[in-house]
Amino acid sequence: MAGVRLEGIYKKYPGSERASVTDVNLDIKDKEFLVLVGPSGCGKSTTLRMIAGLEEISEGKLFIGDRLVNDVAPKDRDIAMVFQSYALYPHMNVYQNMAFGLKLRKFKKADIDKRVREAATILDIVHLLDRKPKALSGGQRQRVALGRAIVREPQVFLMDEPLSNLDAKLRGQMRAEISKLTKRLETTTIYVTHDQIEAMTMGDRIVVMKDGFIQQTASPEELYNNPVNIFVAGFIGSPSMNFIPGSISEQAGEVKFKASGVDVVVPEGKAAVLRSKGFIGKEVVLGIRPEDLHEEPVFLEASPKTIVSANIEVAENLGHEMYLYLNGIGTDSVIARVDGRSTLRDGATVKLAIDMNKVHIFDKETELNIFEN
Amino acid sequence: MSVIDMTKQLEQILNCSVIRSNRSLEDIAIFMGPSYENATIEKGQYIEGKHDCWLVMDLFADYCEVIEFQQKALSATEMQLIAILLLNKTSVTLDNQYAGMTKIEKQATKLGEWLQSQMDVHATRSNIPEHLIMASSLYHEMVPILLIADSSMQSHSSYAELDKLLRSFLSEDVLLIPLPHDEWLIWGPTSLLRDDDSSDSDYMNEETLEDSLSNIAHGLHDMLASEWIGESQLAITYPIVPAKSMVETVGQLRESIHIGRKFHVGNNIHLPWLLQLEVLLHAIPEVHRQKYLEQSLKRAELFVEPEMLATLETFFNLDCNVSETAKKLYIHRNTLLYRLDKLKQETGLDVRLFRDAVLVKIILLLYKVTKTH
Repeated sequence: MAGVRLEGIYKKYPGSERASVTDVNLDIKDKEFLVLVGPSGCGKSTTLRMIAGLEEISEGKLFIGDRLVNDVAPKDRDIAMVFQSYALYPHMNVYQNMAFGLKLRKFKKADIDKRVREAATILDIVHLLDRKPKALSGGQRQRVALGRAIVREPQVFLMDEPLSNLDAKLRGQMRAEISKLTKRLETTTIYVTHDQIEAMTMGDRIVVMKDGFIQQTASPEELYNNPVNIFVAGFIGSPSMNFIPGSISEQAGEVKFKASGVDVVVPEGKAAVLRSKGFIGKEVVLGIRPEDLHEEPVFLEASPKTIVSANIEVAENLGHEMYLYLNGIGTDSVIARVDGRSTLRDGATVKLAIDMNKVHIFDKETELNIFEN
Repeated sequence: MSVIDMTKQLEQILNCSVIRSNRSLEDIAIFMGPSYENATIEKGQYIEGKHDCWLVMDLFADYCEVIEFQQKALSATEMQLIAILLLNKTSVTLDNQYAGMTKIEKQATKLGEWLQSQMDVHATRSNIPEHLIMASSLYHEMVPILLIADSSMQSHSSYAELDKLLRSFLSEDVLLIPLPHDEWLIWGPTSLLRDDDSSDSDYMNEETLEDSLSNIAHGLHDMLASEWIGESQLAITYPIVPAKSMVETVGQLRESIHIGRKFHVGNNIHLPWLLQLEVLLHAIPEVHRQKYLEQSLKRAELFVEPEMLATLETFFNLDCNVSETAKKLYIHRNTLLYRLDKLKQETGLDVRLFRDAVLVKIILLLYKVTKTH
């Protein structure tokens, strides 16, 4: 097993003015599960393909372990890939599919057999070893593709949206299985997805990318609780964080955030930062996650200086929780996540307390989180 | 110095155009006029036409390789001297060129050179000369695949390495023919398409010939990516008898890769039966395509928004099925309908109607080609 190090990696396509990947620096530890996440076109797959050797690196250095591999062919990088469009070898049965790479590398028959059967046991596909790919379901094919990677016992697994061809139920199941599998095998894994739920549930660390740049690299908790900018704050979390443009002011020793329908007091710790960084009197954007808006009386009583009033456009009851789509807090619609047992209904007016200890305040110009930068 | 270099030097010395070309026996008959009736064409022969003269460099079943001198004022002695020089040079060059090759590689290389020479003169209907038939299997139906290596590491690849890899992967009966510009023509046996154990399936659907060919291409692509030198472009088509229409097939596969790459950037597998509309559009002069696209995009920039592009791509890939598209995109059916309504409102085109769907599909294809310019 080995770590992977990217030093100042760029990808520029001929004829393109802008680099697709810009100055990516990452130190991926041995045995780590790192997720690259971001919207379509953010450069995450290109980065992975450069690590795989399927795309040339325009600039920078790539190390697998201590070995510089910029000019090493994919087959000699000691990696195994499972991609979105994974294709099994249609003319071979499952056993042959898994054994092929080992056969090429001249492993002894007995070793090949041992590795294939072990991997098949882990993936619960022993009973499918004689089948051809077309006689397998989508989930079974996915397991075989993983098995083909596992038997190689590579230094690094590279996975590019490997679950995107599966239906929602199977995705959830395979997500957990891949996590379990990589922990058991203790292999360094780099996983690309556009799905923030996959990223949050699978990664030891997550790299959020946009327009070819890394926005933030952090653990799932860190990313959720301390996003460095508006993009990361909005990308991670479902439903997304609410953003309310407004301004900071100070009255009678209290620092306040004001926007249309909002006049709330900022707690002292955050107020001190705003003062010290000179944001009093400045335009900002307040970010609040849907679960940090509370309608329970106990919160309303405890936080009289952070109460806002809103109209419920739609109340979506999912059973265990309810999403309230609200008007009247700032200029855009705001979502609150409340208890599923709530009796609130469409069209009602509701009072909500904003948990100001959980809010993020972003510089309107730079979009950076004032408390994290 | 190559023969081509020598023809350039001769051009300067003789002060006339000197061209190496392939001429059919019909061309030779027309060139010689009535004297062709009793003539025997031989290697090294000097043939005079009305305005120029040809030197026969090599003879094949239905054509000759000649060097054309575009003036007549050369004496017979001068022509004999030139013939000795060029023929001697050719044999030395060829001996060097094939040095170190196995018999099969040498034959394959010669066949590849012949194929290219036919492509150069657009002789797509030429049959392979008998002396170049390297295996009796060329008289049986085989599956043609054209492979182009994308990687900059392709200089590391050798005929022997790829040949061995393909024999392990596809079959011992595979034939590999190297072509210029890092292209490889692969002939696989039709046994790849047969299913020996069709009884073992719960999930198996009736697989069409196109499905089987596509699966082989995808499997081969994945294998080459992980076990050879990385990324490659592949085109595959229906089985044919190679001896009869090899040149035409290479032309078709090249066109598929060329057009496939142009219209579907990022695709690596190009299937001729899926590129029929693209082939038609490609035949429209650039200026007309550009004009039509400009007019269409003037109606709405909405077409080129990433979200709309992705929505329409998926919608068309799923045969305009609203429910399936919403499921695939992980959006609510009503969200999809809203997007389609918005498109209709802004462009006047309702992609749920066949006529408008065709127009939008064409606009999207043209947009991709223009964008890649």
